[in-house]
Amino acid sequence: MRVELSNITKLFGSLRAVDNVSLTIGEGDFFTLLGPSGCGKTTLLRAIAGFYTPDSGEIRFGERLVNHIPPHRRETGMVFQNYALFPHLSVFDNIAYGLRARKVAKPEIAERIGRIIKSVQLEGLEDRSPSKLSGGQQQRVALARALVISPQILLMDEPLSNLDAKLRVSMREEIRRIQKELAITTIYVTHDQEEAMAVSDRIAILNRGRLEQVGTPTEIYYRPESRFAAEFMGSSNIIEMDVTGWDGDHSRIAAETDGRRFTLRGQKPSGARITLSVRPEWIRVVAGPWEGEANLLSGTVLGSTFLGSMIRYHVSGPGEKPLVIEIHDPGEGNIRKDGETLWYQLPSDRPLVIRG
Amino acid sequence: MLKYFQIWNFILIAVFAILIFAVLYPILFIFKASFVDPETGAFSLKSYATFLHYPYYMRCLRNSLFVSTLSTVLALAIGIPFAFFLTRYEIPGKNLIRTLGTLPLILPTFIGAEAWLMLLGRNGLFAKAFRGFDIEIPSIYGWKGIVLVFTLQFFPFIFLMVSAALKAIDRSLEEAATNLGAGRMRVFFTMTLPVVTPAILSGALVVFYLCIENFGVPVLIGEDFRVLSVQAYNEFISELGGNPSMAGALSMILLAITLGLTIFQKYWVERKNYSMTSLNPLEEKKLRPLPAFLIWLFCAGVVFVALFPFAVVMVASITKTQGPVMYFGQFSLENFIRAFTIAPRPIFNSFFLATTATLIGIVFGIVVSYLLVRKRGPVSYLLDILVMLPLAIAGTVQGIALAATYNKGFIVLTGTWMILVLAYFIRKAPYSIKTTSSLLQQIDPSIEEASINLGVPPIRSFIRVVLPIMMPGIVAGAIIMWVISLAELSATIVLYYGPWATMTVEIFQRIGSGDFGPASAYATILIISVLIPLFILNRVSGRDLASSL
Repeated sequence: MRVELSNITKLFGSLRAVDNVSLTIGEGDFFTLLGPSGCGKTTLLRAIAGFYTPDSGEIRFGERLVNHIPPHRRETGMVFQNYALFPHLSVFDNIAYGLRARKVAKPEIAERIGRIIKSVQLEGLEDRSPSKLSGGQQQRVALARALVISPQILLMDEPLSNLDAKLRVSMREEIRRIQKELAITTIYVTHDQEEAMAVSDRIAILNRGRLEQVGTPTEIYYRPESRFAAEFMGSSNIIEMDVTGWDGDHSRIAAETDGRRFTLRGQKPSGARITLSVRPEWIRVVAGPWEGEANLLSGTVLGSTFLGSMIRYHVSGPGEKPLVIEIHDPGEGNIRKDGETLWYQLPSDRPLVIRG
Repeated sequence: MLKYFQIWNFILIAVFAILIFAVLYPILFIFKASFVDPETGAFSLKSYATFLHYPYYMRCLRNSLFVSTLSTVLALAIGIPFAFFLTRYEIPGKNLIRTLGTLPLILPTFIGAEAWLMLLGRNGLFAKAFRGFDIEIPSIYGWKGIVLVFTLQFFPFIFLMVSAALKAIDRSLEEAATNLGAGRMRVFFTMTLPVVTPAILSGALVVFYLCIENFGVPVLIGEDFRVLSVQAYNEFISELGGNPSMAGALSMILLAITLGLTIFQKYWVERKNYSMTSLNPLEEKKLRPLPAFLIWLFCAGVVFVALFPFAVVMVASITKTQGPVMYFGQFSLENFIRAFTIAPRPIFNSFFLATTATLIGIVFGIVVSYLLVRKRGPVSYLLDILVMLPLAIAGTVQGIALAATYNKGFIVLTGTWMILVLAYFIRKAPYSIKTTSSLLQQIDPSIEEASINLGVPPIRSFIRVVLPIMMPGIVAGAIIMWVISLAELSATIVLYYGPWATMTVEIFQRIGSGDFGPASAYATILIISVLIPLFILNRVSGRDLASSL
């Protein structure tokens, strides 16, 4: 089922929790609403579920306008952040709850629950009470309960935030597997960018109720459209430069900062200044200032963190903010100490300029 | 708010209508009546002027304040050490002492008064025994008896509140203080005591309130020592059908005091409370034999003195009697036979009224709790105040207000059983609302949303998912409501009429006429009816009755 949001606005008092958001979520997509707390992602999800009525804008499931359909008739399956399992019902009865509300015949209930329990690997726990389950198992029950009614749309509100780090990784893979198996349109809310990248077909980054960028994980990572998107999705060095020229034949921008000249790939800049987003692992450390090498910079090592497979330097850079540089497999002999001078190079072959 | 939740708006209006009908309007009615001249019907300050002018009335106020203050101080003197000993030290039979120590709270105070009359009154057992040795013991009548009964029945409030506060202190706090170099005494005076002070203050206010609003004890044992609640009742009864102006004025003065106490408690004392969650409660210390014995003796002694009178009443109920003369040692079932055969109606009345009020109260409690917790809106605050208001109104005052308001005019309820149910239900519903709303608060709204999301409409979701989870709390609240409705005297005595006399009225009147035997029989039935459900509640849910009061 396709989900279409057009110009959704939700106010809480004078606060614009969701501010004029338009999105289209394709059939069978795993779509993630990503953003910091208070960005409006949960509000938007709850509006889709029907727990909030938007102050303006339209929500459509397929062709059908659902704004005025109450939540219990929206046929969405929702997994809540705290799972919201019914504490007075067993695992089986929890999962059967939605089927019984739909007056599904007893044998069919048993059959469908058998199937879903197998799919989420909860065999043998049917008679347990939710309080006797581990966090991961509770999560599976919540997922099974939402899926067993064969909803048109699966909604998940930070479903993994109550699990420990290891379990989070395995559960997200499982959620992704089940979602692909069922090919169900899924809208997933999280504040964890790594989780979002790992599971999503597409991601919408929200900030203060507004949409910052929508795209696939790679699109957003490699071509962020705003400073916020660049910094929220992975880490990034933000550098500002003055434009000095434009070479239309090769799509090259000439720019300058701190008296150094740079050649960058990109389209014709719209203003006199450009903002660059440079991922820490994109910066290359070089031995010294060789003739003819482009985009070279030097700085002092201010601090470093050695993580085994990678070393992360904090180096003084152009402007007042230090840059972060990550070198994979640096080699024991090449590790620089604090206070040393480091020569490094910004890539000229990939787009660094934030558009928009 | 969601559009289809609008049904809650209607429910909200209905709830307000009930509260205005049963609480606000009657209070305003006697407020107005207190300013009306009984003869001319014009606005007048005559009643208040009378109150201020005649020493007789001022003495009532002074008496009320005096017995309440003294009883509170004594209750503190007993309750605080009782709480400290029971939470900090290993004492043999501690759980039993703790359970028995809370019982006086729920046992009707006027039965306690009856028992002490039977022991120390003019024809009392002890009084006679001592007279045999030519020792004249001090008279129980007047303020001494009132203070005795109040102290023994209300000290458990101090005990419960202080021990709850002590249990909330984490062991690490004391360890931190010790680690910083404080000795044992220093830890106690600089850390433990200050931390429980708000609880002590809270408890003291509650006890003071209970004393000043009490009607049964001073009317039975006070004789010429008149207090406000009793005087208000007297003015109202002797002038029923005439003018309720003076009764109204006295009620208003009493109301001002009880309301003031409640507001003070809510906005000042409760705010001072430290919120703590204790992971490791304080350790119970083991004592050397002699101190252990002395502490045990104190605790067990207090419990014994507080409960002994009720045992006396139960024994008296199966003792041969003739008017006020008790033939202790000669047993007879005559009192019970009389109660069950000749006058069983009060027993039926009590059960019928308490049960009806409780059933209404359960529904009302659930609805109001839901409104307060889940449908918070601009009027929630007002609803909260209005629904809890009856707790701050003395039973006598509420009784007078209801009786005067619905005595004539558009709706006449005075003289019907409905007014008794109304009074019970509106006065006791706050207890049920307290338990249900605190439970509802602990239930995450997402549980309901999950049910709605799975296709069950909102109200049905509430019934199928939230109600079952709340059930233990609802039952506990209902039992508390039932039990205290059954033991209600101060409003009942104003509101009942002939055939609708309850057991409490019957006990009260029999004591008044010196018929201790039949009074004891009803009292025993009442005590047992109160204890059995509480015992079951305790067994089934492990709940302390105290936690619900």
